[in-house]
Amino acid sequence: MTEDLDWNEISVPVDLPEVVDHISYQRVVENSGATWDYFPGHFDPGYAQSQGNPTIYVNTMHLAGFADRVATDWAGPSSRVVRRSLRLAGSIYAGDIMVGRGRAVAKRRDASVHPPRCLVDIQIEVTNQHGALCCPVELTLQMPEYP
Amino acid sequence: MDQDLSYQLAFGTYEDALRMVGAASEPRTAATPVSGARIQLFAAMVHDGNRSYWDAEFAQQKWGGLPAPPALLMGWLIPPPWQPGGRASAASIALRVPLPGNTFINAANECEFLQPIVEGDLLTVVEELVSVSPEKRTRLGVGHFVQTLQTYRRQDGTVVATCRNTLFRFTPGAAP
Repeated sequence: MTEDLDWNEISVPVDLPEVVDHISYQRVVENSGATWDYFPGHFDPGYAQSQGNPTIYVNTMHLAGFADRVATDWAGPSSRVVRRSLRLAGSIYAGDIMVGRGRAVAKRRDASVHPPRCLVDIQIEVTNQHGALCCPVELTLQMPEYP
Repeated sequence: MDQDLSYQLAFGTYEDALRMVGAASEPRTAATPVSGARIQLFAAMVHDGNRSYWDAEFAQQKWGGLPAPPALLMGWLIPPPWQPGGRASAASIALRVPLPGNTFINAANECEFLQPIVEGDLLTVVEELVSVSPEKRTRLGVGHFVQTLQTYRRQDGTVVATCRNTLFRFTPGAAP
């Protein structure tokens, strides 16, 4: 399948295409609608300000979904995220631009399961328009292997 | 302070919190099964064009149905914002830890997705309180880091995912 990368064909390290996303107020409010996470920091600017934030900010699930998108946009729809570790170092606020830069740093065959899995380890940095690192991510993709 | 939020938080001292470390919640089952509509609403929010979420035929052949976005995992266990007869408690064990802080923000999250989760699956979670840090000061205020471990099972009992989440439970205040 041409839209999928073949694990055998990848050499690491390799940079993934950058993903840029403009986060409007609507997009942040969509967090609550889509995830049912009605924590007020994601839809009520007054509440977010009472926490010491300038305005509402995207939730963890949106940041995780953005990181997953950086990885799977590159690898294709037959890949699957099998592990993801992220740290919320700063927030992405309504009005911000979210930038995802990924780098595949290692590939390995995991023989601890049967059949063995073809894995790629990826490091992703989610930054805002000021270049501030908001969310460092380590992610492992399982990828297809073609004969 | 948001009424609903204060209702969910438990208040107490750090010593109270430490006594709760190791406690596990009763299993909690999602109000609704994994559904194609929510999968696509989440993919739309993320602007994720991954064919697995949008092409039912491809997804059926590849995953046995539309796959749940890994990032939406914890969302399946949040009850809908209103339910007849009263909303089920949405309070994660992390919020029931007795501490002084009157609000919280998420700090870190680490998940393993052992098996694909597909539409029709019904998830059940068990949560455990792993640790509560001593008092820390961050740019947002003074509080404690609360780490929990979530284990997600589908209807046949298979563990499909595990997550370690760390949130910062704090009282807002300017740094000294």
